[in-house]
Amino acid sequence: MGSDLLSRLPHGLSFRFVDRILELAPGKRVVALKNVTLNDPHLQGHFPGNPLMPGVLLVEAMAQTAGLLLPEGASALLAQIKEARFRRPVVPGDQVRIEAELVAELGGLRRFAVRASVDGLLAAEAEIVLSVTKPGDTTG
Amino acid sequence: MNEVAQRVRQLLATRLKLAKAAEEVGDDTPLFGPEGLGLDSIDALELVLGLEKEFGVVIDNRDVAVKVLASVRTIAEYVQSQGKG
Repeated sequence: MGSDLLSRLPHGLSFRFVDRILELAPGKRVVALKNVTLNDPHLQGHFPGNPLMPGVLLVEAMAQTAGLLLPEGASALLAQIKEARFRRPVVPGDQVRIEAELVAELGGLRRFAVRASVDGLLAAEAEIVLSVTKPGDTTG
Repeated sequence: MNEVAQRVRQLLATRLKLAKAAEEVGDDTPLFGPEGLGLDSIDALELVLGLEKEFGVVIDNRDVAVKVLASVRTIAEYVQSQGKG
């Protein structure tokens, strides 16, 4: 499900951190998957001999997941990261389940509650604000 | 009005990073812009969420937000006009 929707993300594949969409309530809530693997380029340096998905990339993955809730054709920039917490390390072999839910919107700003978990255990959570720079299809 | 205004001031202090103490924010101090507290649109969203939680008032429209979030007084008046507070 949702490969078309994934292609809406503006990021090139080298900077896409969402692999699959599992559930979608358009505009409201989305659940996506990110598979972490040993040959992910950023794990070569973070860290040699101790591969660990960088927390900032988990935030990026959560922000990209939130971006899937924007209307088709919309573009947005990260405006705020709040209350980010990293509960446990994410390592190669982990399948990260990422949930994003719209909590508020005002003008061009949308705020999302986001969570990333592995095997049912919370790995990271945050509140993320996206600033919509191009509204896209408002009927979508 | 005074009690609601005091709760609004408290909300500003707890949810936002203010440059001055909440007690020093006057009822008519502009919340946005260089003449006032200098809050921005991200602060406005934070404030809208805070007002919903504290008073149960919903502001989901930018035009309403611009009018209501002008000052402590305009927020307190809006809360009371909605039968809250």
